[in-house]
Amino acid sequence: MTPTLSITPRRTLAKLSAACLTYAMLAASAAIVLTPFAYLLASSLKTGEDFFGSLFLPAGEGVFGVAWGRITSANYTRLISEFDFTNNIVNSVFLASTTSILATLGAAMGGYALAMIRFPGRRFVTNLVLFALIIPAALMLAPSYQLLYFLGLLDTYTGLILPAAAPAFGVFLFRQAFLSSLPPQLLEAGRIDGCGELRLFVSIGLPLVRPMIGAFVLITYLGTWNNFIWPQIVLQSPEKLPLSVAIAQLRGVYSQDYGLLMAGTVISIAPVLVLFLLLQREFIAGLTAGAVKG
Amino acid sequence: MIRLRQYLRSGSPISPGVVVIAGLMLASAAWVAVRPVAQRDGLSFWVFARTHYQMYVPVADRWREAGGHRLDVALLSADALPRRLIASMHAGTHMADLVEIERSMASQVFSGPIDGIGLIDLTDRLHAEGLYDRFNEPSFAPWTVSGRVFGLPHDVHPVLLCYRADLVEEAGIDITSLTTWASFKEAMRAMVVDLDGDGRPDRYPLSLSETHLDQIEALLLQAGGGLFDIDGVPTLASDVNAATLAEITTWLTGPGRIAGDAPEFSASGNRLRLEGYVVCSLMSDWLTSVWESDLPQLEGKLRLMPLPAWEPGGRRTSVWGGTMIGIPKTTPDPEQAWAVAKELYLSEPLARELYERAGIISPVRALWDRGWYAAPRAYFGGQRTGRLYLEQAPDVPRRVSSPFDTIAKAGLQDVVIQLKRHAEETGVYDAAALQPVAKQLLEAAEARVRWHMNRNVFVRERSP
Amino acid sequence: MNHHAAQSRAAYLFLTPFLALFVVFLIYPLVQSLWLAFQQTHGPSITRYVGLDNFKSIAVDRLFWKAFWNTAVFALASVCIQLPIALGLAMLLNRPDVRGRAFFRLIFFSPALVGLVFVAVLFGLIFEKRTGLLNVTLHAVAGFDPEFPWLQQYVMPALIIAALWLYAGFNMVFFLAALQNVSRDLLEAATVDGAGPLRRFLHVTLPAIRPVGSFLVLLSLIGSFQLFELPYILLGGGGPDNQGLTVVMYLYQAGFDAGDLGYASAIGWTIAILLGGFAVAQRYVSALDER
Repeated sequence: MTPTLSITPRRTLAKLSAACLTYAMLAASAAIVLTPFAYLLASSLKTGEDFFGSLFLPAGEGVFGVAWGRITSANYTRLISEFDFTNNIVNSVFLASTTSILATLGAAMGGYALAMIRFPGRRFVTNLVLFALIIPAALMLAPSYQLLYFLGLLDTYTGLILPAAAPAFGVFLFRQAFLSSLPPQLLEAGRIDGCGELRLFVSIGLPLVRPMIGAFVLITYLGTWNNFIWPQIVLQSPEKLPLSVAIAQLRGVYSQDYGLLMAGTVISIAPVLVLFLLLQREFIAGLTAGAVKG
Repeated sequence: MIRLRQYLRSGSPISPGVVVIAGLMLASAAWVAVRPVAQRDGLSFWVFARTHYQMYVPVADRWREAGGHRLDVALLSADALPRRLIASMHAGTHMADLVEIERSMASQVFSGPIDGIGLIDLTDRLHAEGLYDRFNEPSFAPWTVSGRVFGLPHDVHPVLLCYRADLVEEAGIDITSLTTWASFKEAMRAMVVDLDGDGRPDRYPLSLSETHLDQIEALLLQAGGGLFDIDGVPTLASDVNAATLAEITTWLTGPGRIAGDAPEFSASGNRLRLEGYVVCSLMSDWLTSVWESDLPQLEGKLRLMPLPAWEPGGRRTSVWGGTMIGIPKTTPDPEQAWAVAKELYLSEPLARELYERAGIISPVRALWDRGWYAAPRAYFGGQRTGRLYLEQAPDVPRRVSSPFDTIAKAGLQDVVIQLKRHAEETGVYDAAALQPVAKQLLEAAEARVRWHMNRNVFVRERSP
Repeated sequence: MNHHAAQSRAAYLFLTPFLALFVVFLIYPLVQSLWLAFQQTHGPSITRYVGLDNFKSIAVDRLFWKAFWNTAVFALASVCIQLPIALGLAMLLNRPDVRGRAFFRLIFFSPALVGLVFVAVLFGLIFEKRTGLLNVTLHAVAGFDPEFPWLQQYVMPALIIAALWLYAGFNMVFFLAALQNVSRDLLEAATVDGAGPLRRFLHVTLPAIRPVGSFLVLLSLIGSFQLFELPYILLGGGGPDNQGLTVVMYLYQAGFDAGDLGYASAIGWTIAILLGGFAVAQRYVSALDER
């Protein structure tokens, strides 16, 4: 009695048109999402003069009514030659990868303890973590700067990485992930087998939240990659600046060099896009694992 | 137990992606660790403008080679510089030995009691060395608090009227004879035309809109109004502001409308300028070079003239923007910093470069007779633009930098929008009839500024 | 007993790296900001104790409440507009006959890869009158007013649209993963029982994705109340009539434009207290609900 088995021509037609509609809607949404990217890319390939004169590519006599001859890679070459962008990219990679790995480690350990072990003070720490989620970051700007000065960490990567290595949000996510995917009986079994707590964590806990590890590494990486307010204040030496700050620096007080800014944006997206392609599967599995027991 | 063993065997918690990131971490860490670190020494100097940075670095290099001052110039973004200044001043840390500050950042630095300001008071030095009189006096105003000067002015930034000579000529109007805004409005009304016949004008005499707050503030200053008086007391609700805003409202809307919205620094604004949507724009000296690089198509079509005055014989200019150099109190070597500041800001080659690169005239009066200011500029049809700006320099209005500037500006914005809305809703487009309404709105806005000021115990104490 | 002590010790060890950094780099500045909240600062370096004055002022500060209202509207739009759209996209992608799921997922997610500064600069151009991508397109497609003043009069809708572009795909990824866990058997059983698409959605799908949904609501609310860079760069401040002023931007302006770090801290704590109160109340209500 499965109704799907009774395939009549009418049913196939209905199915087909439903599929067409689905694809049409998906394609339309995808087009809407992609148009700003196309605009971004086109803008980065224009001269300042053409930037203000045309919407996408400069109009002209060429194929598709585009003046292909006026397309220029000058913005990109300028970024590389004038602005030391290679160095900035390496800085960003360093900051983002170090922060994301340290933060994930700290968050996984903290989340594990809060989720899986009963100990005095657990409630208090959990509430503290939850409270930290709602603190506006701008509130901490001035006091944190003062703190870094006292600690001698201004203009150092340590001063950027250490505060970011204690992410309340990460602890919260990992706590949720452990609660939802690690049955306590499993740990009990391990304890009876004589496993130490560290061994339990590494051999049983971590493999079970493997997707969350991928997800959180990616989130932190993205966040660090694009963060600019705090690094802008802490770092002073130009050769230490990450890409986000270097590009944000291209914005002027009054006038903007849009072509340059757009080219910088394209350059800043490319590396994280590759990373996302690499981590996509874990990322998606991990995100929901954290959310299931929200 | 079988389940447990299964889990133990299920492998490493590390996915390939994480391994890649770990690899990136090690590789980039190695690069960061071994790369040579630039040795920094000498005075640290923060600037926010790329042009200035590009001008100062070669100077610093020359000094270094010649064994003179050792100067380390750092370019910070206009957002980062004030953030770092405030954070450093709060923490009491050493920041820079010299710093350039733009007017939009100044309010933060100049708030609080005089002795609480984080910059060295330069007043006595200026007078003792006879420097004060060498600068254009109004240019000190934004950097002065209660009569004490905290920075050397970098510029004057007078405002002129820039017009499309080709369009004006086509319309047969002798624009240079329009010496007041009233005559400008009357004569230029003829230039509001519908070119494509869609019932909507495609050309307006003036580039202005209720959201162009910088230009509106410049117009208020020209008229003798403004947000604060020279002592930092809010003057939003002054009669001159009310009258000026009422008049401006009639430019923005209604049957007498002469203003079209073509925002500066925007793609749409620049497109509209190319299309001739607006004929005239308020133009500060620094803006000339921005146009020249963003709108090369307009070369030869533009001319500059003094602003029409608000009343016959009145002031023909205003002011827009401004930068200073200051010395933070935390510097260990104020004498050398002072020496460098003077060399940079009094230097003739730098003043010339500043003019030739950015169109900006120097506030140092001794340089005003230099021939390079009189060089004809092709972009403006061969006009000697330097001279035109210099002629108006002594007349630029004074304005202060108040910490309550943001709030007062927001209040002004409120008033302009509401006044325009009021005119449209009631159909009253007569400046005299709008003036009491403007006054009322301005009073409410000023009361809000005062509320914020009175909240501040230090301000309360300073003005009982 | 010994067993428990060992576990506790392990828990503290696990928490140490996090807690040590957390206490130094979060709690300490937080305490500092609490102290500041009771000070009047004028010029960054001068402070004076003023008791509860800052909080009393906030209670009647028109701008603060305007900012709060704006932020609440944005938060509401995130929850009521953005999340349903994200869910709709996810359901489209989740249809069994759709191919190229990973490809579409990548496209929809990609805006989340762009930094906020650049999103703001980009949308500043897109929202321009006459020449902006949005108005040009709408004009060509639907005869929309090419002069429509997004950033002059319709600031909040503009912000909501920009945020929609930026985050809808991100949220969709969550929903999609949750939908893929909805039991097909249950859905088919419901179909056999004669339940239409709407009833299937309400009675089978929705309960199954509810945990993810409430997680996303929480995330959107937290995110909305941190909103700052996007409007700040897009509008260069609060925008005309302060329509785009958010609470965090107001905090920032108080501290870094007016140089009053005390008032700024008090604003920050007021936001935290209001949100904390809201969270506690919501927990309490949902606890009642479940009973």
